[in-house]
Amino acid sequence: MSHYIFARLPGSALRCTLAALAVCVASRADAPEGGWVRNPVDTFVLDSMRQHGVSPSPEADRYTLVRRAHLDLLGLPPSPTEVEAFVNDPDPQAYDKLIDRLLASPHYGERMAVRWLDAARYADTNGYEKDRPRPVWPYRDWVIRAFNDNMPFDRFVIEQLAGDLLPGATEAQRVATGFLRNSMHNEEGGVDAEEFRYEAMVDRTNTVSTVFLGLTMACAQCHSHKYDPLTQREYFQFYAFLNNTDDVEMEVHDAAVAKERDALETKIAALVEELPNRFPAGEMQGETSAAHLVRKFAAWEGEVASRAAHWTALDPVEFTSKYHATLVRMPDQSILVKGDVPNTDTYEVSYRANLAGITAIRIEVLPDPSLPNGGPGRGVIMSPGGDFLLSEIAATDAPWLQPDQVQQVTLQNATEDFAAEGRAAQFALDGKLDTGWSIKGQEGKPHAAVFEFAAPVTHEGGTLLRLKLDQYYVHQHTIGRFRVSVTSAPLPVKASGVPSDIESIVLTPQAERSAEQSEQLKRYYLSIAPELTEAHKEIEAMRASMPRMPRTLVLEERETPRVTHIQHRGEFLQPREAVTPGVPAVLNSLPAEAPPNRLTLARWLVSEENPLTARVTVNRFWDMLFGRGIVPTPEDFGTRGEEPSHPELLDWLAVEFERSGWDVKAMLRLIMTSAAYRQSSRITPELLASDPSNEWLARCPRVRVEAEFIRDIALSASGLLSAKMGGPSVKPPLPEGAMSLVYPGDPWTVAEGEDRYRRGVYTYWKRTLPYPTAMVFDAAARDTTCVRRIRSNTPLQALTMLNDAQMMEASRAMAQRVLQEAPADMPSRIAYAFMLALSRPPDADEQTWITDFYEQQRARFDSGQSDATVIFVTDTPAEDTTERAAWTLICRALLNTDEAITKQ
Amino acid sequence: MNRHSQQQDAVHAITRRHFFRDCGVGLGKIALASLLCGRAASANLNNPLAPRPAHFPAKAKRIIYLFMAGAPSQLDLFDNKPVLKQYDGKPIPEEIVKDQRYAFIQRDAALMASRFSFAKHGQSGAELSEMLPHLATVVDDIAIVRSVTTSQFNHAPAQIFMNTGSPQLGRPSMGAWVTYGLGSDAADLPGFVVLATGEGSSGGANNWGCGFMPTVYQGVPFRSEGDAILNVSSPQGIDAAMQRDSLDLIGKLNRRHLEVHGDPEIATRINSYEMAYRMQTSAPELMDLSGESPETLAQYGVEPGKASFAKNCLLARRLIERGVRFVNVYHGGWDHHSDVAGGLKAQCGATDQATAALLTDLKQRGLLDETLVVWGGEFGRTPMVESSAALGRSLGRDHHPQAFTMWMAGGGIKAGHTLGSTDDLGFNITERPVHVHDIQATILHLLGLEHTRLTYRFKGRDFRLTDVFGNLVPELIA
Repeated sequence: MSHYIFARLPGSALRCTLAALAVCVASRADAPEGGWVRNPVDTFVLDSMRQHGVSPSPEADRYTLVRRAHLDLLGLPPSPTEVEAFVNDPDPQAYDKLIDRLLASPHYGERMAVRWLDAARYADTNGYEKDRPRPVWPYRDWVIRAFNDNMPFDRFVIEQLAGDLLPGATEAQRVATGFLRNSMHNEEGGVDAEEFRYEAMVDRTNTVSTVFLGLTMACAQCHSHKYDPLTQREYFQFYAFLNNTDDVEMEVHDAAVAKERDALETKIAALVEELPNRFPAGEMQGETSAAHLVRKFAAWEGEVASRAAHWTALDPVEFTSKYHATLVRMPDQSILVKGDVPNTDTYEVSYRANLAGITAIRIEVLPDPSLPNGGPGRGVIMSPGGDFLLSEIAATDAPWLQPDQVQQVTLQNATEDFAAEGRAAQFALDGKLDTGWSIKGQEGKPHAAVFEFAAPVTHEGGTLLRLKLDQYYVHQHTIGRFRVSVTSAPLPVKASGVPSDIESIVLTPQAERSAEQSEQLKRYYLSIAPELTEAHKEIEAMRASMPRMPRTLVLEERETPRVTHIQHRGEFLQPREAVTPGVPAVLNSLPAEAPPNRLTLARWLVSEENPLTARVTVNRFWDMLFGRGIVPTPEDFGTRGEEPSHPELLDWLAVEFERSGWDVKAMLRLIMTSAAYRQSSRITPELLASDPSNEWLARCPRVRVEAEFIRDIALSASGLLSAKMGGPSVKPPLPEGAMSLVYPGDPWTVAEGEDRYRRGVYTYWKRTLPYPTAMVFDAAARDTTCVRRIRSNTPLQALTMLNDAQMMEASRAMAQRVLQEAPADMPSRIAYAFMLALSRPPDADEQTWITDFYEQQRARFDSGQSDATVIFVTDTPAEDTTERAAWTLICRALLNTDEAITKQ
Repeated sequence: MNRHSQQQDAVHAITRRHFFRDCGVGLGKIALASLLCGRAASANLNNPLAPRPAHFPAKAKRIIYLFMAGAPSQLDLFDNKPVLKQYDGKPIPEEIVKDQRYAFIQRDAALMASRFSFAKHGQSGAELSEMLPHLATVVDDIAIVRSVTTSQFNHAPAQIFMNTGSPQLGRPSMGAWVTYGLGSDAADLPGFVVLATGEGSSGGANNWGCGFMPTVYQGVPFRSEGDAILNVSSPQGIDAAMQRDSLDLIGKLNRRHLEVHGDPEIATRINSYEMAYRMQTSAPELMDLSGESPETLAQYGVEPGKASFAKNCLLARRLIERGVRFVNVYHGGWDHHSDVAGGLKAQCGATDQATAALLTDLKQRGLLDETLVVWGGEFGRTPMVESSAALGRSLGRDHHPQAFTMWMAGGGIKAGHTLGSTDDLGFNITERPVHVHDIQATILHLLGLEHTRLTYRFKGRDFRLTDVFGNLVPELIA
């Protein structure tokens, strides 16, 4: 039996666009309302109930409804006040008002983000062995904001896949491209970076096809799909859309940080201004500070001049990276390296030099704000950031007009302004790839190395100078920005020890210097004068304390396209025929005039002709609200997926979604205000018999909430939950010993203050150690895309609920709340505790059980059998510790009920 | 409608659909009542870890997998290469290394002979290095494969590959597959337990993850000190009686809710809490070594109160005795890019005695016949020396996926057999290559599972531990 999606997708006149669907299903939805039917959703649901001989359940009571709606839309339980307000609201529109209020809550975005971030495989680390932290939380905040702002879903898709390609892309639109960047990244020493880039592109291809199309295109990576009409060629054509990006980081403007930085800059400027005044008086009798400065400055200048040479910066004409980093020529003739960060690399750069009698070259390595720690290197592993290792340098020359007449240049006598111990520039000439020049310890500053030519080089009509820079330290220690200059100064030529602009000012006769140059020279001197070391330390400390702008992972389209090949058997080492971007033939075709890029792909996904994206999306909403999709396999709409229970309803919802302008809140409101959703979730023996799996929706499903919300519920009931939104991910307490099982990496420093009690969506997600108490409750591992969470029910969950320190902490805080906020009599306290944990009043039996339990536990404490102060730990001994301890146990029991963690 | 395999049905045991299909529709209160009676009733109903029959009868019922994370050097332990001595310090011939990819070393690196001597042991005459004196005493109980090969040459992907059949994250691990296929006989402990010492493993939790399977099949890390399982101890101040009272109250509330709502998922929850309560007793009991004789402790080299590989080996035996299906013992620290000789002395010192003791102990207790023991890392190490001034390395060996050694012992294994060989330099396999997928297929087979039939449907595809590969290695099977 072929599946309905493909059954409806023949290459015939029946090709089912949303518009065509609208015609198919409109007549059905127009059935009259009335009776049980509240909106068109019910028409379809009731119809299938009738066909299968079941009938609707009565509407759920108001206590159930208010908790259900809160858990579904916010992932949080209602407060006792909210429960009472809704239960006692006489307004016939009370329920609709409730839904509107919840959709307007900022916590709605957090709730929706939890599911979307599974699909986006969002995590705060790179994965694999090193599993280093990565900054991408601004993307998570973008998702939350987009849901809260009710961004139309088509825009939501376009910005995440191709926000950077939109005309005049805003910062937020670029941040959105973090969606694709969430692929894992292997930085283990010695990996072939290209291989893991391939894996990342495969991951992106699979993610896009699963999340938006509900297709298991991944099957076609190694061979054409066995069941669905997707070929391997089509797989790599789809892949080709995504295969032309540089993975870069960008700064995200943060007004608070900017303000703080400005304030510090002002202070630093004042200190710099003060420097001349802090210059000490001379050691000679009567020499004033000013005179001393003039004398030392002049002496220094003379000394620099003796080492300085006239350098001519060369303009790069051709430049390549062996391992696909992107080299960009900058206005100052330097080359900036961005994009892929291979473990090792070789840059080959050609220059035209018009100078005659070249005697030496100088390589300046320059800082850049885009580089880690400001550069000049790209190293981040085994480095504070910004280091590199230039293993070997080699040069050839040829006449510009006869570029084939290549001759080797012999380089000699390397010098540098700074080198780490044992890493002098001379090691870049020793023929060994495991030694070389490094500036480790002086990152963030410009440096230079000078290499003499054994014999001067001159060519009529200019010289074609080619450089080869091997960088073979295996941990990404490649150069991030560099500039090359030549000189014809007589040998020996050495590194001057000062930045190139200073060197050139020194060589400019004083009379010819501009006022600005003179000032620059003086400022530089003041910044290095040994007499001012103390002042420099103050300035350095202030610089070091400067807060940094948040950064986030984004995409950038490459200017030089990458070629996509069909990889034989899907294997990285077997590239075959080249292909260009394209979409599977079985789906709607691309607009003929559009350029074949990511933006076109994104627009194609949400075009009216695309039959899948809207269906797949509303199906996931349905899955979120009903615990099961209309297609029960949201990840697979293909022939191997399960059949939809209500195909026409799904089609109608998809049409409606598109018709509403992809209005997510409207779609959720539509579903949640249906009679189907408002039914009771009780399972009667008749329902058990007729529809055990609830396929026909004759009751509302009962579903255990998502992992994140389990902790959110406990924190919320206890009053501990922080309402703070956004920002870097936080590290709540981790069960002891959990870190011992992973590769040693960044420590798990437990958050303090309210960050300890943030919502689960903000928990730091470490891929090799996904938050253990969340994983116990089936959180998605976030390694690859996940559009459906499994729900298990295990003893480890019980151990977590019963014994985890955070659950105990919440139980204690909730006990405090009950004792402080409820009237002091036992029934009122019990009622309040029920309201906090379960959003309903207790029945008489429950009152009795709790009371009995309370007395039993009090007796234990009073008799000294148990120690209340150990259970109710507090800094200041409270008078009623026993009472609090007893209530802690009650609250713990309530939070441990199945009901507390279930949406029903 | 039903395209699911039998195994997949077991997974659905945790959903109410399956519950009612298996238990018979209309059992109603009777079914619910029996569910509430605790242990007896909980054994089979609604329990995805209930023991399930194998595909075919097999000797091995359980498995202890000793995973040597970081990749031990086969050339210094198992694969003796006298010819390397002649070439020591000389560059490796270009025709051998062409087209090979390496993690750290350069192609023209010199060859390095082992610094250790080798000797033949036991009736089988298997050759072992002097670094493995204890294993030498039980060498007739093991089958050595000197020709294992993998396609991954970096730690994280290779470990994940060995454990899940794919270098990419997100697939179920071998332990998950085995417990999914066979369930577990352990009433009060998880079916798949992970123990670890040494440096952490590069693959992390993915090495014992359940991928797209339900979390019941995930490996549960046991710590050898403190609480064995995260959160297995009651919070401070809550003694057993108070915990029992609390469970009774929770049980009452849950049962009332079950009566009202009729959702069998609540019954499962009640059972989970009861099982959790039993684990609170069984886990400390497992960890309590006071019942072990001083001879046994000495045999393994266990120092009470100290976490060690030796202690984990002993715990592995205790777990097996309690019916746990899959015990994964990790020991990290074999990644000897520098000073391979010194590194091996340290790691063999930490593991050799206990490894041999585990085999002896299992044998003495009559458990070896029905327990499969597997030993190995994620790849091998190069015959070429690794040295790097930049990285501060000398006399090390780099990653070598082409050929490495593993061994197996116990249930169904042809003990005393040595399989496969490599060339004179130990670079390439010359006889009987055994791929990682073949190892996986063979392990499953020894446990009575046919690797092509053990499938799980996800994203429209029937996944296997062996992907679309894997051939049984009949030479290893008794």
